[in-house]
Amino acid sequence: MCKRCNILKKIDKTVIVETKFIGAWMLIFSALMQAVFLIIGKWDYTVLLGNLLSGVAGIISFFVLGLTIVKAVSSGDAEYAKKFMSASTAGRTFFLFIVALLGVLLPCFNTIATLIPIIFPRLGLLIRSFMVKRMDKNSKSGDNGEVDKVE
Amino acid sequence: MLELAIGIILGCCALGAGMAMIAGIGPGIGEGNAVARACEAIGRQPEAKGSITSTLFIGCAIAETTGLYALVIAILLIFVAPNRLVDILMSTIG
Repeated sequence: MCKRCNILKKIDKTVIVETKFIGAWMLIFSALMQAVFLIIGKWDYTVLLGNLLSGVAGIISFFVLGLTIVKAVSSGDAEYAKKFMSASTAGRTFFLFIVALLGVLLPCFNTIATLIPIIFPRLGLLIRSFMVKRMDKNSKSGDNGEVDKVE
Repeated sequence: MLELAIGIILGCCALGAGMAMIAGIGPGIGEGNAVARACEAIGRQPEAKGSITSTLFIGCAIAETTGLYALVIAILLIFVAPNRLVDILMSTIG
């Protein structure tokens, strides 16, 4: 088996599924943002480059968050997990700060198009949490319906 | 007088950015606590590990949103706002 497949096998399935979901939402939101820039007549290659930079950085940050959670949870030690998670949060925030700094300082990246996509994964997750809540509600109401029928 | 006004604008922007980043402290503490509780919960109910991890995943990412908003606002205050505010000041003075 190839080396890449082995690495992917080691990664928790939940992390891969969630990252794919967030990647899909990132694409949708990025396309929307590009469309808005086109409509207002301010689109140029810097918008695309900025979007690419922070989009990739956002997905990487999210993926690392997933890996951190899996590692912290599987350690079993609550105190170690707490410290590990706090350190990871600081590291990821610093990484995003560097990306945003690059986007602001380098002229080949549009500032706004670099800063906005950083929060796209979180918007995707908000939608995800609403979807999960709705599914839970539906399944609960479905269960109640069955109970009523049986009664 | 103009230099003083520009200095006040720059100082206030820097202070605002620093104060915005106070919001970055919360997610680190909150996520740490959430993961610690999740560890305890998995210790009590190992069979619920999958559902606890996926719920924790969404919870942590949402908790981190506040810190990211603060980061974006701080960067805007440091790099974007001073130029705009100084431009406004200059155009007002004429």
